[in-house]
Amino acid sequence: MQRFFKDLKRYYRYILYASKSELKSEVSYSYLNWLWWILEPVLFMLIYVFVVRIVFRTSEKYFPVFVLIGQMVWMYFNRTVKRSVKIVKSYRSVITKIYVPKFVFTLINMFVNSFKMFISFLIIIVMMLVSRVPLTWNILYFLPVVFVLNLVIFGICMILMHYGVYIGDLNNLINVLLRFIFYLSGIFYSVKNRVPAPYNKFVLKLNPIAFLIDQMRDVLIYGKKADLRFLVIWSVTGLLLSIVGIWKVYKNENSYAKVI
Amino acid sequence: MSNIALSVKDLHIRYHALKPVSIKNSIIKPKRIKKDFFHAVKGVSLEVPKGQIVGIVGKNGSGKSTLLRAIAGVFSPDEGSIDLYGNSVSLLSIGVGFQSMLTGYQNIFLSGLLLGFTEEQIRSKVKEIIEFSELGRFIYKPVKTYSSGMYSKLAFSITAILETDILLIDEVLSVGDAAFKQKSYNRMRTLIDDENRTVVIVSHSNKTLLDLCDTIIWMHNGKIKMKGDPTEVIDSYKKFMKVKG
Repeated sequence: MQRFFKDLKRYYRYILYASKSELKSEVSYSYLNWLWWILEPVLFMLIYVFVVRIVFRTSEKYFPVFVLIGQMVWMYFNRTVKRSVKIVKSYRSVITKIYVPKFVFTLINMFVNSFKMFISFLIIIVMMLVSRVPLTWNILYFLPVVFVLNLVIFGICMILMHYGVYIGDLNNLINVLLRFIFYLSGIFYSVKNRVPAPYNKFVLKLNPIAFLIDQMRDVLIYGKKADLRFLVIWSVTGLLLSIVGIWKVYKNENSYAKVI
Repeated sequence: MSNIALSVKDLHIRYHALKPVSIKNSIIKPKRIKKDFFHAVKGVSLEVPKGQIVGIVGKNGSGKSTLLRAIAGVFSPDEGSIDLYGNSVSLLSIGVGFQSMLTGYQNIFLSGLLLGFTEEQIRSKVKEIIEFSELGRFIYKPVKTYSSGMYSKLAFSITAILETDILLIDEVLSVGDAAFKQKSYNRMRTLIDDENRTVVIVSHSNKTLLDLCDTIIWMHNGKIKMKGDPTEVIDSYKKFMKVKG
């Protein structure tokens, strides 16, 4: 663990610069460049609003904001997890030349995607003002929720990064799992209200993404307080996952270059 | 001890049982993941005093590049140890590491940061690097658009201008066109002439090695076969290769 913080201190400039460059290069490759970071969440939101309102004929209060929040958390989770499986391979040219602590790549991955999440968040704030969501101080609970989200994602990504090196077809499995989690996280519906009675509690307790999306909606839209007890439980879980991940990666990282 | 820059003790490196597996195979026959391995470096020990230039020769597959990568920290030793005494080290090799989506300019900074330089230090040298690499405006284009010559020129320039204490060179002294070759050779000379710089060179060009090195190590099948005066080692290496060929 000590080593982790020492390396973090030594490499954080690299992490920042690499994240910045990656974002920049992404922009320079597309026609509408940075506009996509805004267009993407908005367009997806419109699709979900269309499908849910018109096809399924249901809705939730402040539905556009409701969907945007689910979408924001999901996109962040989905992108980082998917990338982490193949991430070591994608830095192949770097790691066969010089030693880099491999958790650095997970952090770059998270920085790049959390920047996009930040933009989604700005859109959400605008939408909240436009649709006149009543604002309360409970919005500040947003911060611990985001913190727990990052901790859980970091842990999962570190572990997947490690196994992704050795298991060639892990990403097939992960894609299926991610689709499953997508439908079970209530991105465009409310798990609390739409999933029948005993199961909705299960889903909210066992699926961190469903739980965190639900929490985020509670504090941002409905002016409720966050469920601190479960936030603590998930932050402990996230911390344990992260420790296992860091330990596993440190133990094996010098063999990665031999495999890829 | 202070004048030894780099010491390697009884180093073993194996490539083994680390083949990527599929989920199916690991479930169906979890214990049959193959144990075959390739023993690339078998007990190499060497000490390089500060400021010395060491050349390594040997036929293909004799473990030269693996040894260099281990010294650069890319692999951890399976047995034995490597001590750099706190010196910074950089490895220059063919097809070296750039992120192909990013521009040459960004890659200069990324490589520099990884080598342990600060952004300010890199910024003060970046002009010199770009000039030396002769890339001109291409430096702001993604690296994937570069020709292989441009690629190697940039790699060489970064390593040659951002100076580290220990320099590991893996067969790149003949990069680019004739003019650049001459220039890089001269640059290498000035780098090497610095008394504080320790250099390990792997090369197949006997002439270069004779020119530059203080000591030559001949590696054969993962072991050191001969070590010592450049002319002697190169002579017996030449003889050996003739007999085999």
